[in-house]
Amino acid sequence: MDAKSIIDSLVNKFQDSLVDAKVDSDIRVSAYLEPEKIVEVCQYMKDELLFDHLSSETAVDYPKRNEIVVVYHIGSYDHSVLMTIKVKLPRDAPEIESIVPVYWNANWYERETYELFGVKFNNHPYLKPLVLPDELMGDWPLRKDYEGFPNRTARNLV
Amino acid sequence: MDETVGPSEMIVHLGPQHPMQPGPFRLNLKLKGETVVDADIELGFIHKGIEKILENKTYLQGIPIVDRICYLTAMTNEEAYVGAVEKLADIEVPERSQYIRVIVEELSRLQSHLLGMGEFGAFIGFVSMFMYTIKEREDILSLMDMVTGARITHTFLRFGGVRDDLPEGFKERSAAVFASLREQIADYERLFNHDEIYKQRCFGVGILEAKTARDLGLSGPALRATGVAFDIRKDEPYLVYKDLDFKVCTATDGDIAARINVRLEEMLESMYIIEQCLDQMPNGPLFFEDSSYGVRTPVMRVPEGDVFHRVEDPRGEMGFYMVSDGSDKPYRVKIRGPVYPTMQALPPLIKGTTLADVAAIAGSMDGCTSEADR
Amino acid sequence: MDELNDNETVGNQEEYVEEVPGVITTTSMAITEFLKKTKAQDVINWGRKNSLWFLTQPMGCCGVEMIATGCAHYDTDRFGIIPRNSPRAADVMIISGYVTKKYLPALNTLWEQMAAPKWVICMGDCSISGGPFYESYSTVQNIDKMFPIDVFIPGCPPRPEALLQGFIELQKKIMAKKDHGTDY
Repeated sequence: MDAKSIIDSLVNKFQDSLVDAKVDSDIRVSAYLEPEKIVEVCQYMKDELLFDHLSSETAVDYPKRNEIVVVYHIGSYDHSVLMTIKVKLPRDAPEIESIVPVYWNANWYERETYELFGVKFNNHPYLKPLVLPDELMGDWPLRKDYEGFPNRTARNLV
Repeated sequence: MDETVGPSEMIVHLGPQHPMQPGPFRLNLKLKGETVVDADIELGFIHKGIEKILENKTYLQGIPIVDRICYLTAMTNEEAYVGAVEKLADIEVPERSQYIRVIVEELSRLQSHLLGMGEFGAFIGFVSMFMYTIKEREDILSLMDMVTGARITHTFLRFGGVRDDLPEGFKERSAAVFASLREQIADYERLFNHDEIYKQRCFGVGILEAKTARDLGLSGPALRATGVAFDIRKDEPYLVYKDLDFKVCTATDGDIAARINVRLEEMLESMYIIEQCLDQMPNGPLFFEDSSYGVRTPVMRVPEGDVFHRVEDPRGEMGFYMVSDGSDKPYRVKIRGPVYPTMQALPPLIKGTTLADVAAIAGSMDGCTSEADR
Repeated sequence: MDELNDNETVGNQEEYVEEVPGVITTTSMAITEFLKKTKAQDVINWGRKNSLWFLTQPMGCCGVEMIATGCAHYDTDRFGIIPRNSPRAADVMIISGYVTKKYLPALNTLWEQMAAPKWVICMGDCSISGGPFYESYSTVQNIDKMFPIDVFIPGCPPRPEALLQGFIELQKKIMAKKDHGTDY
C-alpha cells in the first residue's frame, strides 16, 4: 500500500471534509479535516487502510490565527506510511470528539492535550489531569500566552 | 480506577518512591486477596515541561535538553531531534558521520538493555543480576565516554554531522569489551533458561497476545516479543541502517521470558552492527564543506514547515513532531516517547495477575518515568 | 531521637514532675547537647560516619549515576555506604534531580519517615539551582531552604566519583561536628 493510493482512497470517501490532502513523501501523507468527521475517518483508516497504530496526538497553539490545531499521527504496523491529520479548532472553546473508541492508546494523549492546552475531548472515558499538579490546572501551560514561563522564583535569578 | 472497595478488597499504593520503580510514579492497585482486580497509574511526579523549554531555546541549545528526556537513551533522543531538524532544514550528513552516529546509538542501546535487565533481575528478587549487568554496563559506558566525553548525557550530535571523530584505539578496545560481553550474555542465557525459580516466575506469566499488543499501541521489545516484527530501523530506515545487515529479533510467546530473550538477542545484534560499521566506515569529513550548520553559526534559522521524524529507541518508537515558523527557535516540539504507551499498557496487563507478579511484569516492560513525564 | 518534640512535651508537663531526692530529671536534647562537649560524641560520630546508608530514590539523570555508584563497579560498600530501599532504614537522602510541585509533598513525607540522625545531599545542578530546567513551570526552586542540606555536588550529572567525593566530605563534616544531622 503506497502513499498515493491511500490519499486517493481517503479523498474519494470523504470528499467534502478533507482539505489540502497531499503526499509529502513516500512514507508521509497529511491532510486537514473537519472536526465533526474525526472518529469516522479514524475508523475508516483503521478498518480499510490498515492504520492500526496511533503514533501520537497533540495540539499546536496559534494565537494570531485564533486557532488551536489538534494533530494526529497515525501509522501502521504493516506498512510504513504515516498519516498526519490536522483539525482546526477555535481557540476560545476548543472541543472535539474523542477517538478513544477507535484507538485505545489515545486515552493518555488526550488527557495530556487537555491539561496542557485546554482542548476538551467529548465522550472521553476519564478526562482528568495526568501530569500536572492540581494547582496548575486551568493555566494551559503549553499555550503561547501562558504567563508563568519562564519561572523567576529562583533566588539567584532575581 | 473506581475508589469504592468491596468486601475483602483493599487498595495498595505503590510509589512514588518504591524499589520496583525506575523513577517516581504511583501505581494504585485494588487487591482481592492476592489478585489484582483493578489498577491505575498516576504520572507527572517528574514532569519538567521539556516541550515548553524547547520552544524557548534555539535549535542548538535544544540538544542538551533533549539528552535529559531519558537518561538511558540520550543518544537516540538526540538522533530523533537532530534528524527532525535535518529533515526540516534539508541538511545532508556525510557518510562517516552517519556511521559514527550508528555506532554510538547502538552502544546506547546496549547499555540501556543491560540496565533494564539488571533492574528486572532486582525486581524478581535476583539482585546479583543487577551487579553483573552494571559491571558490563560500565565497560560500555567507558567506550561511550571515549567517544563523547560523557557517561550518560552526551550532547554529541550536531546538525549535519557529529562533534568529534572516533578516538584512536576505539576499535581494539571495543573488540575486547564485546568479547567479554558476548561471554556474559551466553552466561545470562544459561542462567535464565536453567534456573527453576526463574522459569516458574517468568514462563507463561504476563502473556501479551499480538492482537492486544497492537491495540495497546506498544512498540519495541515488548511488541516484538509477541511476534510483530515492527522495527523503525527496517520499516523506515534512517542513517545507514539500510546498508547494514541485521535481523529484527522477535519471539512468539509474549510472556516475561520472551521479552528478556528479545533484549538479549538484540544486544548480540547491536554488537554485530557496530562491528560492521567499524569495518565498513569510509574515511571522509564529518561535515560537508558547504554546510553552514557544521561550523559554529551564531544564528541558525530553519525554514517554515512541520515534520514527524521517528527512530528506533532501545525501548521502541521515538518520534519528534517539530513545527517551525522560520525563526531560530522551534514553534512547537512534541516528543512521542516509547515508554508513554508502555506505561499506559501496564494497568490492563497486570489486571488479574497476583501482587508478586506486578514487579516482574513492570520490570520486563522496561519503563522509564522520566521519558513518560518529560 | 526526636529531641525537639521530647523537649516540648516535657516542658509542658513540668509542673507534674515530682522532685525525687538524688535523681536528676533531664531531657534527651540536654543529653545530646552535653554529649557534644565530650569525647563520647567523637566515638558516636565515628560510628555514624561509617554507616551512611542512602535512600535509593532515582529522580532523574543523577538517579542513574547514584544507582551506578552503589553497585558493583564503584562499590560504595567500601566506605560503609549502602543503598537502602526503605526510608525507615536510611540515613542519607540524596535529592537526585529536579523537584517538581507534584513531587515535593512526597519528598517531604520521605524525609519525615527517615529516623534521625539524617543528612541530605543535593546531587546535580537541578536540585542545587534548577539546572537546565530552572525556568520550567512545574519545578520548585530553592530546595536548600526546605531541607537542611550538608553537601552540594555540582555537575550535570556528576560522575560517580563526584558522588563518592561528596560522601567523603560528609564524613569529614560529621567528624568535625559541623553537620546538620542532629539539628532537629
